[in-house]
Amino acid sequence: MTARGLVQLEKIVKKHGSFEALKGIDIEIRPGEFFALLGPSGSGKSTTLRILAGLDAPTSGRILLDGKDVTGADARARDIAMVFQSYALYPHMTVAENIAFPLEMAKTPKAEIAPAVREAAAKVKIDHLLDRKPGQLSGGQQQRCALARAIVRKARLFLLDEPLSNLDAMLRLATRVELKKLQRSLGVTAVYVTHDQEEAMTLADRMAVFREGEICQIGRPADVFAAPNCIEVAAFIGSPPMNLLTTRSTAGGVLIGGRHVPVAASLEAGRAVVVGVRPSAVRFDPAGIPVTVEVVENLGDAAILDLTLDGTPLRARYDRFPLPREGETMAVSFAPEDIHLFDPTTGRRI
Amino acid sequence: MKGHKLRLALLLSVSGLFLLAWIFPIFWSLLNAFKSEQDVLAYPPKLIFSPTLAAFRDVLFGPTSIVPNLVSSFIISIGTTIVTMVLAIPAAYALARLRVPGKKWSGFYVLATQMLPPVGIIIPYFLILRDIGWIDTYQGIILIYLSFSLPFAIWLLVSYFEDLPFEMEEAAFIDGASRLMTLWRIILPQVRGGVAVTVVFVFLNAWNEFLFAVVLSGNVVRPVTISMFNFVSVEQTLWSKLAAVSALAMLPVIILGIIAQKHIVKGLTVGAVKGGGRR
Ligand SMILES: Nc1ncnc2c1ncn2[C@@H]1O[C@H](COP(=O)(O)OP(=O)(O)OP(=O)(O)O)[C@@H](O)[C@H]1O
Ligand SMILES: [Mg+2]
Repeated sequence: MTARGLVQLEKIVKKHGSFEALKGIDIEIRPGEFFALLGPSGSGKSTTLRILAGLDAPTSGRILLDGKDVTGADARARDIAMVFQSYALYPHMTVAENIAFPLEMAKTPKAEIAPAVREAAAKVKIDHLLDRKPGQLSGGQQQRCALARAIVRKARLFLLDEPLSNLDAMLRLATRVELKKLQRSLGVTAVYVTHDQEEAMTLADRMAVFREGEICQIGRPADVFAAPNCIEVAAFIGSPPMNLLTTRSTAGGVLIGGRHVPVAASLEAGRAVVVGVRPSAVRFDPAGIPVTVEVVENLGDAAILDLTLDGTPLRARYDRFPLPREGETMAVSFAPEDIHLFDPTTGRRI
Repeated sequence: MKGHKLRLALLLSVSGLFLLAWIFPIFWSLLNAFKSEQDVLAYPPKLIFSPTLAAFRDVLFGPTSIVPNLVSSFIISIGTTIVTMVLAIPAAYALARLRVPGKKWSGFYVLATQMLPPVGIIIPYFLILRDIGWIDTYQGIILIYLSFSLPFAIWLLVSYFEDLPFEMEEAAFIDGASRLMTLWRIILPQVRGGVAVTVVFVFLNAWNEFLFAVVLSGNVVRPVTISMFNFVSVEQTLWSKLAAVSALAMLPVIILGIIAQKHIVKGLTVGAVKGGGRR
């Protein structure tokens, strides 16, 4: 029972004709882990998940489940459960029959099926809907039905492809929390595809950030947030996204708005760098660099200020009230530990 | 508003005319089936007559009973339908789902088989069947009917299969179902409307076929369409018996039509408006 659900993807390449959808993916997912595949649309997340599920074959590379090579194995031989974005419920079957289907296929004795179905349905709170057809369920209920169908068999691996994207914002937040609780209580390994960085941040134990068929970074969400290892990850993680300013280095610092700003990293002077500062890390300091307030987006308990610093745009989070007015002049400063530095040619973190 | 009503009235009267033109021969034939032979030939035609079941009694229980012919027709039609469906369902599924070389041309092949004038191929068919000794056998006539019904059934079914989302099948694979099990438990129940339509069309085509039956069958195989000849001879044509036979031959068609009516209407729209016919 222990150490069930170890996933290893080794150098997975997927080509569609001459187009490389995946350019050599390496991932290792530990048993019991909630692992997110995060990235913009078209970056290869679904492709990776489908290859893992056995629905598509990789052009090259190996897939190991619990140490066993399953690269050539059929989907049904892999002992995996999956929740599709469209839910893919069987419309001609009732909820109970939908949930029972994986058990029937696994030749579970008849007497065990009904209680198992009831238990799975109860876990996702749809046990009062067992006699309905999927067409008679709301979107959220259909989503739960798909979840129940996936958890009923106690597979070793749980795959989810944007399972929350068809729900409204409120339901998405509520379901997110329940999903996490459910995965914890089952102790099952979960691989979760999303393009929503907030979802990945809140749900995942670790995540892989995809870009154009490659993985930019793998790590705990907090670590990736704190130290993105390339410009793309920096720009993708965090809301609103990190400010990126192209400038030059000075001795022990960088030039921002014509001023020397000290940084933690050691840099040779005079090289081109990209400076990254999160909106929440912009400090308002009367002795700092002057900025002009262009737009104030009031969020209620805070505001996002669209500023210009020496002609370049800069976004900052501001939570002191009253809020500044548009057109007003303010001043900002940056702490050395808040400054991320990237190489403009390679995009790598310095 | 007024233009709308006028349009409706025009539409109704035009379709009413068509319906009348279509229904009149059938009505006339049915009427004759209940007349005596003398009444049929009466001039001017009698609209008021004393109806009799004599014609039906004669064609069913008389010396030239058509009951064996009805049985023959059923064997041919049911046999053709079963073999067609058993082969067409997996073929259509494969054609809809797998990347098969030549898939694009298969549609043209189907149309071609439907466009060929039967007279043009009847002689080669006759020669082939004669050479393998299958003239006047059930397997022979069913084989010939298959050459038309199979492409047609596959072509009809493919559009239904193509309408089904891929993800549902993939979900079934992941849930542990084999391809065959997926076809049986997940796919077929959802295209049952399409299957019903195809069954009806294939059955009716076989049931109504006349030309091939005349040439390729004889004494053993003698479907009801040919049995009409029993009542046409050099000396006379027994009109009311002929009408009774055609009424009996139409009966299964009508019954099937009524049973499958809902599916047929849906099925015909699926071909035209993709996905429009499914629930
Ligand atoms: N059958 C195919 N033929 C050609 N290209 C394909 C095929 N399937 C996927 N692709 C391409 O592969 C790339 C990765 O697709 P994938 O579905 O994995 O993206 P994704 O990260 O899941 O995006 P999204 O968030 O939009 O779902 C895309 O550029 C897509 O166009
Ligand atoms: Mg996707």
